[in-house]
Amino acid sequence: MKFTVNRDVFSEAVSFVVKLLPQRTTLPLLSGALIEADGSTLTLSSFDYEVSARTQVTADVEAGGRALVSGRLLNDIANRLPQAPIVISTEDGRIQVKCGSVSFSLPAMPVDEYPTVPQIDDVSGLVPGEDFASAIAQVSLAASKDDVTPVITGVQFEINENSLGLIATDRYRVAVREIDWENSMSGDALTALVPARIVTEVGKTFAHSTTVSVAIVSKDERELISFTADNKTVTSLLIKGNFPPVRRLFPEKVENYAVVNTNDLIEATNRVGLVLDREAALRFSFREGSVTLEAAGSEAAQASETIDAHLAGDDTVVSLKPQFLLDGLRSAHSEYARISFTKTDNPNKPGPVLITSQTSKDEAGLDSYKYLLQPNLLLR
Amino acid sequence: MWVRVVIAKCSVDYAGRLNAHLPLATRLLMLKGDGSVLIHSDGGSYKPLNWMSPPCTLSAIEVEPDQAEAGITEIWKVTHAKTADLLVINIHEMFSDTSHDLGVDPGLIKDGVEADLQKLLAEHIETLGEGHTLVRREYYTAIGPVDILARDAMGVHVAVELKRRGDIDGVEQLTRYLELMNRDPLLAPVTGVFAAQEIKPQARTLAEDRGIRCVVLDYDALRGLANHNTLF
Repeated sequence: MKFTVNRDVFSEAVSFVVKLLPQRTTLPLLSGALIEADGSTLTLSSFDYEVSARTQVTADVEAGGRALVSGRLLNDIANRLPQAPIVISTEDGRIQVKCGSVSFSLPAMPVDEYPTVPQIDDVSGLVPGEDFASAIAQVSLAASKDDVTPVITGVQFEINENSLGLIATDRYRVAVREIDWENSMSGDALTALVPARIVTEVGKTFAHSTTVSVAIVSKDERELISFTADNKTVTSLLIKGNFPPVRRLFPEKVENYAVVNTNDLIEATNRVGLVLDREAALRFSFREGSVTLEAAGSEAAQASETIDAHLAGDDTVVSLKPQFLLDGLRSAHSEYARISFTKTDNPNKPGPVLITSQTSKDEAGLDSYKYLLQPNLLLR
Repeated sequence: MWVRVVIAKCSVDYAGRLNAHLPLATRLLMLKGDGSVLIHSDGGSYKPLNWMSPPCTLSAIEVEPDQAEAGITEIWKVTHAKTADLLVINIHEMFSDTSHDLGVDPGLIKDGVEADLQKLLAEHIETLGEGHTLVRREYYTAIGPVDILARDAMGVHVAVELKRRGDIDGVEQLTRYLELMNRDPLLAPVTGVFAAQEIKPQARTLAEDRGIRCVVLDYDALRGLANHNTLF
């Protein structure tokens, strides 16, 4: 194998493939990046039986072939190479990387033992890249990081005719967003539960792509999802199990709500929250015209701040964990945010609070983002 | 093994890898059967102000006339057997000096939470997955009891090792049980489940590499303690 490739093109391709390498693997082979040169195409891949990344770039191939080399090392090297064409070749079981006056010689791993990277040709549908990335950023942060309930460590994909819904929850909050979906499969309804870590990475990778094609397939009794755009593909096994029916937690109609300037409330929450202990909640008292934030921490430290708010309905007091509120407000991606209060009959459990985007004081936001948050019990 | 407990007004000097001085005050001196000497104040929880770990020897040295004039009645010298560390206790007044034989130490009894987890998981065996049924708790094998033996929805035996904190040792333990149990034609095939409140990443990696499933348990949820700060 011998080929010449553009330095920046190669470095970007390697960094994409390596980002999804497993953190901890018991099979050293799987920490490798697979390099395949054929015709005028260079293919780079990584795969750990659960997640794969694969990309193709143009290269000047002198001799085709395959090689496997430590992914992280190759990535570190590619990032530091000078601006000159890179020549990569295999010689006596070693991989030579030459760039300008720099040369590296790396040990090759046995490429014949490397598993076959999944290749999916089907397409279930297409999504606009930018919307997809922003929906992922809005939703995936609500996914659970706790292994107690594996099904909620994923982001649920719900496909319905012309829309793709993304849902994530950690039981404290639920985030939902719908985006356009251009269906290209026979059926029109499908769900898939994808590990949140992979979804987050997919969002970052394809943020600047025009369209991303998504495929959900069953292969050898395993269910896979793949994301493809700009010659890059990420595949992941789906999480088995049923995602909890969290959509029904959302209220159908709310009369009691407040509209606040998102940034003002974020800053006030950050400031007043300084005195709070970890895990403690902030008290928010909504009245017509204003909301007052109050915090009481250990060692008798206290803080309060009042900012403008427009209230519809009754005066309301809620106790919210600052981080959970901040996640919801930031993800609203809008100048104003609407905080709606729901009623409950349970005296031990306050009704959830719903955060949605708002383009102005009076106009609801255009996107379908919804963030439902459970307030803490008021202690006084 | 005798433990000697002394309450005395004393000053203490430590010399060796570090030098430290405790000024004259009333303190609790504990002389344990293993030879260790610990100096406690009325505070600082379990932690002594100063101490000498075994192997070490305690000897009373002669009080010089000028020291006696300063009020010292007894001087104890504790020397470490392997290092040159030295602890000198100058006793001015002894208030209490008692010795007790504590007998043979039975060691730490199995953690309460772990035993409770076993009982709770047996009661809620479906936590392991739909269709799981309990065979029995403490299934005895030749090398010790397996915490829980169950059957999955297909009727295949599942051996469960329970830990509060799941680390590599627990995985090794379960691996030994599985190896043995899979030799039993009446049990085989037996799959493994490593269940804990918290599983260390290394332990998870090793377990999954050996085909052992990891299950993280929520103690509060098993006990039926609802968290009111969640949506569902």
